[in-house]
Amino acid sequence: MATETEYVDAGEAVDFRNLSPGYIGSAPPVAKGVNYDRILEAREAEPHNWLTYYGAYDGQRYSLLDQINTSNVKDLRPAWVFQCGSVGMHSGASTYSFEASPLVVDGIMYVTGWDGWVWALDAKTGAELWRYHRASPYDVRLCCGNVNRGCAVAAGKVFMTTLNAHVIALDATTGQLIWDQPYGDVRAGESATVAPLIVKDMVIVGSSGGEFGVRGHADAFKLETGERVWRCYMIPKPDEPGGDSWPAEGEPWARGGANCWTTPTFDQELNLLYFNTGNPCPDFDGGVREGDNLFTNCVVAVDPDTGEKKAHYQYTPHDVWDYDSTMENILFEMDGRKCSGHFDKNGYFFVLDRTDCSLIRVVPFVDRITWGEIDSNGKVTPRVFPDKEGEPVHFWPGPAGAKEWTHAAYSPKTGLFYAPVQDVGATATRRRREFKESIPYWGAGVAVDTEDVSGYLSAVDPATGQEKWRFRNEHPMTASVLATAGDLVFTGDPAGIFRGFNASSGELLWQFTCGSGHHSSPCSYSVDGRQYIAVPVGYGAWTEGFYPGALAQAGGSALFAFALPE
Amino acid sequence: MAATADKTVIEGLAKQNGVTLGRILGRGNVEVAEEGSDGKMHATVRIPLDELVFDPGVLVLPHGGVLELEIVNDDNNSHCAVLPCNGDAKFIWLVNFSKGRATLELDGPGYYWYGSRTGNDEGGGLTGTIVVGGEVPDEAKLDRPPQPRP
Repeated sequence: MATETEYVDAGEAVDFRNLSPGYIGSAPPVAKGVNYDRILEAREAEPHNWLTYYGAYDGQRYSLLDQINTSNVKDLRPAWVFQCGSVGMHSGASTYSFEASPLVVDGIMYVTGWDGWVWALDAKTGAELWRYHRASPYDVRLCCGNVNRGCAVAAGKVFMTTLNAHVIALDATTGQLIWDQPYGDVRAGESATVAPLIVKDMVIVGSSGGEFGVRGHADAFKLETGERVWRCYMIPKPDEPGGDSWPAEGEPWARGGANCWTTPTFDQELNLLYFNTGNPCPDFDGGVREGDNLFTNCVVAVDPDTGEKKAHYQYTPHDVWDYDSTMENILFEMDGRKCSGHFDKNGYFFVLDRTDCSLIRVVPFVDRITWGEIDSNGKVTPRVFPDKEGEPVHFWPGPAGAKEWTHAAYSPKTGLFYAPVQDVGATATRRRREFKESIPYWGAGVAVDTEDVSGYLSAVDPATGQEKWRFRNEHPMTASVLATAGDLVFTGDPAGIFRGFNASSGELLWQFTCGSGHHSSPCSYSVDGRQYIAVPVGYGAWTEGFYPGALAQAGGSALFAFALPE
Repeated sequence: MAATADKTVIEGLAKQNGVTLGRILGRGNVEVAEEGSDGKMHATVRIPLDELVFDPGVLVLPHGGVLELEIVNDDNNSHCAVLPCNGDAKFIWLVNFSKGRATLELDGPGYYWYGSRTGNDEGGGLTGTIVVGGEVPDEAKLDRPPQPRP
């Protein structure tokens, strides 16, 4: 060993990002002026931007940009590609996935990756302006992989959730931390993957951990300080409204699930947030939680000022198939009514009156549904479910659902919804187990089908429930859809192919092979008059749950931005 | 069925080029960082001669916070460390017989890997863990009766 004086001084460890060629370290202050009023008018007033997770509060994932249209989309090509890769040993090393929706503010893109990454990029060139990397515990409990679905931007800040259930605010010009608020208990199995939503002067988030017997919740914090405004538990206590939908004996309510791990939509006029809640726990063992199990598998309309529940609709009462209803409730108008549209894991498309969450229409949108039936009045009749210990039961759709969390789109121009559909079954065998914090609490062994699976992109008319067109794919469709005023819809597939379709006819007009599967949410924006379509690419996460036949699909970490030739 | 490993096998896994080519991950001593009066935690990690291991291999922090870490390379080869830290990983190059410092901020509870990314040091065994104990703050916990843990 060397003596003290013989050591070379290695100095102080440096930020790793400073060893990246071309790293700039700052972004223009474009996010400073983003506020609630601008987000309210996001689509119409500034269609060149993508200011919030769904592009606008209504969740339509619809862009008014039309430079790229049905006549020229054939010429679409990559303008730039951003890649991240990974360094060292990180959590979910085999299950990371690039699932975000990029945001764009006046030429600057903000996008999150897996494992606590967030980047500010030049939306015109793909140049990295700054990065922030939140250290994520290697052993954080993750039901479905190391993922994050995006960030929010307002008041000069970028907001994101972390795998270990913090919500943090960063300076949008430098990426430096401004405030940090833990809002979940990782020892209880909680985590966070949701893209935050800015409403008024608050940042709204929700919890993950629905496979670990937690008590799901949504939370609001002051966006300037991180001070908590409210928490809304989606499982009531026994003496609260809905508490009688759980057994009176014991504490199944305390482990009941109903996590809010996708971003809500928001109606300013009604002053209601529409949260989407996850499965009850244990997922497949309903015998330990008799009753409807409110407010699991629901849309829950919440007052954003108080966190108080105002209305709800339960899509799958007493779920024993893992049919989360966490996918979006898209807000739209029909015949002068304020409606919401929702494609549920259970294979049914629901149109609700969003003023009170009452049912207007329910129709199936996938070919094979064997778990049960929902009639036109919304009456649910279960038929096949894992109710006997050790007895395998096969049902369609499987636990990933006929549509996963990946989002549908709605075009006000065509009046159609566009849904990515998975026609995949599964076999579940009930296995009752004792509850322990941080241990998966499924109550079954589950194997998702690897054969006889398919998918499609479906265009559905909400006025009739009829399917107007369908693009059939040999793989389940596992990525969000983007609709544009150029009469186009875009979505990717597990094989890595990103496609553009005629929104009215379903004709395939363009495609590009991105090299890894799609499990993210594309967006559209423009800079200096040039329209781009941006999509994160990189498969992984809970592939065994929605498409085990794609487990060996190449991983990836690329964000493609497509545009027409200049 | 498999037979219980004898002493030769166990000792051979704990050194370079023994049973396998490198040193099996997750080996090494366990130490706990000291808490200073400045509110920060302090520890030293060394790379001993020809062992291709961080010592301690497991460094325990009682809770989340700031760790002032000294890293000493007592090996006759150059290594480095990519260390976990909120905001960005920290990198330090460690030539033969060198000593450096890193200031790390980490959340708890949970554990974090770090390693030397040069020359497949990681594969050879030059990885370590920082284990952060403790609980999340009360305001982040669920409102429910105490639940059983494993």
